[in-house]
Amino acid sequence: MSLLLASVGFGLITAAVLAIAAVGFTLQFAVTDVLNLAFAAVMTAGAFTAYLVNQAGYSVWVGLAAAMVACAALSAGLNYLVYAPFQRRGSAPITLVIVSLGMALIVEFGIASVAGGIDVSYQMSQGRTVTIGGMLLSTVQLIIIAISVVVMAAVHALLRYTKLGKAMRATAANRMLARGCGIRASQVIALTWALTGALGGLAGTVFAIDVGSFNASSTDIFLILILAAVFLGGPGNAYGAMLGALVIGLATEVSAAYIEPDYKYVVAFVALLAMLAVRPTGLLGARA
Amino acid sequence: MSDDQRALSDDQRALSDDLRADGVTAGYGGDPVIREVTVRAEPGTVVSVVGPNGSGKSTLLKAMTGVLRVTAGRVFVGDREVTNLPPEEMARAGVGYVPQTDDVFAPLTVRENLEMGGYLLHHREIPHRVEYVLTVFPRLAGMLRRPAGRLSGGERKMLAMGRVLMLRPAVFLLDEPTANLAPAVASVLLGEHVRHLAEAGAAVLIVEQRARAVLAISDRTYVMGGGELRMEGTPAELSASLDFVASFLGGRPG
Amino acid sequence: MYYLIILLVYAAVDAIACLGLSQQFGVAGVTNFGFIIFQAAGAYVAAVLALPPDTADGGFQTYIGGLSLPFPLPWIGAAVAGGVLALPFTFLVGRRLRGDFAAVGLLVTAVLLNLLVMNYRPLFNGDAGLALVPTPLRQTMFVTTSNAYQYGYAAAGLVLAAAVYVFVRRITESPYGRTLRAMRDNDKVADSLGKNLVALRTGALVTGGAIAGLSGAVLVSFIGVWSPAEWSYAETIVLFTAVIIGGAGNHAGAVLGAVLVPVGFEEVTRFISNNNPNLPPNLLPSLQWVAIGLLITVFLWLRPQGLLPERRRMIRAPARSPAAQAPPEPPAEPAVESAPAPAARAPVPAPVTEPILRTSGVSKAFGGVHAVAGVTIAVGRGTLTGLIGPNGAGKSTLLSLLAGTAKASAGQVIYQGQDVTAVPAYRRARAGLVRTFQLASEFKRLTVLENLLSAVPSHRGDTFAGAVAGRRYWRGAEDLAIGRATELIERFGLARHANDYAGDLSGGQRRLVEIMRALMTEPSMLLLDEPMAGVHPELARRIGAALVGLCQDGMTILMVEHELSIMDEFCEPVIVMADGAVLAEGTMAELRDRTEVVEAYLVG
Repeated sequence: MSLLLASVGFGLITAAVLAIAAVGFTLQFAVTDVLNLAFAAVMTAGAFTAYLVNQAGYSVWVGLAAAMVACAALSAGLNYLVYAPFQRRGSAPITLVIVSLGMALIVEFGIASVAGGIDVSYQMSQGRTVTIGGMLLSTVQLIIIAISVVVMAAVHALLRYTKLGKAMRATAANRMLARGCGIRASQVIALTWALTGALGGLAGTVFAIDVGSFNASSTDIFLILILAAVFLGGPGNAYGAMLGALVIGLATEVSAAYIEPDYKYVVAFVALLAMLAVRPTGLLGARA
Repeated sequence: MSDDQRALSDDQRALSDDLRADGVTAGYGGDPVIREVTVRAEPGTVVSVVGPNGSGKSTLLKAMTGVLRVTAGRVFVGDREVTNLPPEEMARAGVGYVPQTDDVFAPLTVRENLEMGGYLLHHREIPHRVEYVLTVFPRLAGMLRRPAGRLSGGERKMLAMGRVLMLRPAVFLLDEPTANLAPAVASVLLGEHVRHLAEAGAAVLIVEQRARAVLAISDRTYVMGGGELRMEGTPAELSASLDFVASFLGGRPG
Repeated sequence: MYYLIILLVYAAVDAIACLGLSQQFGVAGVTNFGFIIFQAAGAYVAAVLALPPDTADGGFQTYIGGLSLPFPLPWIGAAVAGGVLALPFTFLVGRRLRGDFAAVGLLVTAVLLNLLVMNYRPLFNGDAGLALVPTPLRQTMFVTTSNAYQYGYAAAGLVLAAAVYVFVRRITESPYGRTLRAMRDNDKVADSLGKNLVALRTGALVTGGAIAGLSGAVLVSFIGVWSPAEWSYAETIVLFTAVIIGGAGNHAGAVLGAVLVPVGFEEVTRFISNNNPNLPPNLLPSLQWVAIGLLITVFLWLRPQGLLPERRRMIRAPARSPAAQAPPEPPAEPAVESAPAPAARAPVPAPVTEPILRTSGVSKAFGGVHAVAGVTIAVGRGTLTGLIGPNGAGKSTLLSLLAGTAKASAGQVIYQGQDVTAVPAYRRARAGLVRTFQLASEFKRLTVLENLLSAVPSHRGDTFAGAVAGRRYWRGAEDLAIGRATELIERFGLARHANDYAGDLSGGQRRLVEIMRALMTEPSMLLLDEPMAGVHPELARRIGAALVGLCQDGMTILMVEHELSIMDEFCEPVIVMADGAVLAEGTMAELRDRTEVVEAYLVG
């Protein structure tokens, strides 16, 4: 029983990290129609930004803030310099995906070329361990979960209650009509990239905190988990991404308790493929 | 005076712009679809543009709202030239456009649709405007929380018009608003709601297939055919004209 | 000198792999981000087929098979394995998935398989991989370490690459290849022409997979080791970069790309690292990847067609009787001197026979709304019948019901005396009842002639087997088709543009291409949906005259149109619809006199 509980605990943390990333990814897709496969690389950039700040003597939580800023800028830059020009030209979605793969390579291996191949980790304390409902979690893990919950609430508030959030949803639903209301769609899109980039930086840092030691390629597999969560919940649907993250996070960790741990990601991949084959609009339907 | 009426008369000054398209030529990139079309709508009037399919009516509207590129001619709202302005600037210039399809934000609720319509307003004004729109379209009051995608055809069109009304634009452009509506719903839409827009002071330009129905509510009508302006006049003049009927059924006028 | 041999072998391996990818991605438009897995699978199978049982060699490896087969069986097995592995992927290309979604699915599958392989020891020896893979023909007289053998191997590899080149070209330059390109350009239209998209895409996956598997075999038999780490999904990106830079859709371009990118990169890297031994070990490989990312982005921006773009296929019409008989061609631009339109009158109504197509109370409801309600019509043989009515009258819906692209909620459709109400569209098309569509549906990157040829039903060369059998097998059928197509093109006056890309023509000319393409299926009855929409009046008249000519030759046409002057000149009878029902039928002159018709148009 405690094995199950422990794995549920791990699952919640994975789900927490995954939720932040998946929401960022899916909002990018919703508002801009780009499947940005460079998202995981942006996460890595965030993790390393936090690392540099941490190495300079600051707390990793300061580094986290720095990561968010850096990745907001990186993401907005990617859009301004690369994705938007291709879209203005009318490139097919598949071309945008290939370009995003190119960007993923540039960012990930640009970092690798500077950082080298050795694993690094943050200098931080894990805090005390706490027992909650039978699960053993460290303070830091609890903080991660708390951050994730706060972020989900913030995204919800943004989308439902703020002008920008509603403009984002309007632009995602019908860009021409949104412009007809006076919304400057290109500004909304730029802001979306910046915001979701910040989410990516946040996700990357908490990911690195969770795994302990990481290098430039650590997020590669994580991208697949993000895709699984996004497509499970419905591409473009923020709430779907949250649901998908919960399901995928729990499923991978709980399955690891019962099958060979090396195969725990198989569950995620199979879920993704099944979704694509059976119901490509996802559980909650696309684009809310 | 109630708040709404006060708001109305305040805005009356702003709503004195007329809409003019002078010699507009536009198309989808290749040959022009419409050539040298001149129409005009004064504030407080309903002006309709009718004609058979393929006559260029919708193209004219799209050219006037910045959706299509105008290659010759100019478009004015009052003194301000708005030719080829992008849609977001058109909204700021006081042009309200209700397209024929994709006219609402389907995943957003009715209230959110209206709020988007009021995007350019100061946030304090929005609730007042929403209330005003609901007095014009009372049906919408009962469905504020419903996603727009789940409205019936007539309700959607009302929402689309309500969304545009949020900004109290000087000019309303309506592209075949009664397409796909049942005749009874269509006549209410035209007779009550469209007429009301003009009565509130706006210049209303409406493109329609249902020539008889829209003639009944128009102050002036233009007839298009083959991308050109064929005729214009008051509904009385046109109904009496044989050429009017003929132009709809493909015979050459005159 | 050993260095040169390695270079040549790698060039051969990469060329073969890129040719497979070019076929899949460049020609068929299937974006397979998991491509590398097929190469890996082929290499693995080649290895285990050649290796002795796993207890030999000290038993440090665990794998299945171990049959120790002689050359060339392991290589053949590799190709087969690569092809077979493609089959489970078909569920991703079968459904109507957006191209980018499907690509992501394939990417995920590749990563999944890679993960499984890395961790599963009994089948694949886990992440340790396989070693001591025997080189081919080792038991025969060759001393495998000799220079002659090495050169021989490299030569064999290059010969194999050349053979693969010939093979993929044979497929691409056949009618089957044309169908693949049509599917790439516009899969919905290809579907409506009766092409089986699932079969075509599966074929592309299997062919590409088999070729990739073969390339894997050539590689593993040379280097003697199989390491799963070498086949991460990032390697697929290298191959994509190669194909895109070389020129997607051009097989010579694929070979060029293979030489420039995988091979070229390796060499440049080796050169740099040889001259700078003090660089940190990770730097160069990382920068390599950065360079790949830059290359692919820059090329997609500046020159997406690649260094060697896909060539236009110029087809020479077979020599025939004087072209002077063909009518002068219509103007692409408005207002040329008014050459008199052949004043063809509407055909005299045929003697009373069984109508070729009729309906009986047919209806179509969407939700509670009837788009078509209880329509009963009969279309006489050899007539050019018009179908008119205001917007929302149900004309397009009725056409869909007649063609089979929409299913009737009630009533019957009877074609040639047979009840076809339940028969799907592609079968009605094969029976001679064909429709065109309102929206643009030409294949933009095929020439006008190719557009027409793509519609030929049951073309000998339009199957995979037919393509492989070669030109001699399908040449006859192709020549016949070219003859018919050329005749049609001349009849409609587009002879000058026969070898132009359809996407480059004007709107009116493109409508013509669509009509001609429908005619290539040799229909008995043609359903035209607004064929003159957006067409210049002069050109519309010529189309009308040509259609009348076709009816005089025995065809029946039912035409939906808004341009009522066209109806006047060419159609008899004309059916008027309003609000989902038939209002009246007669000549245009008769209809104009009827008040209910006038009212329908004015009321809308």
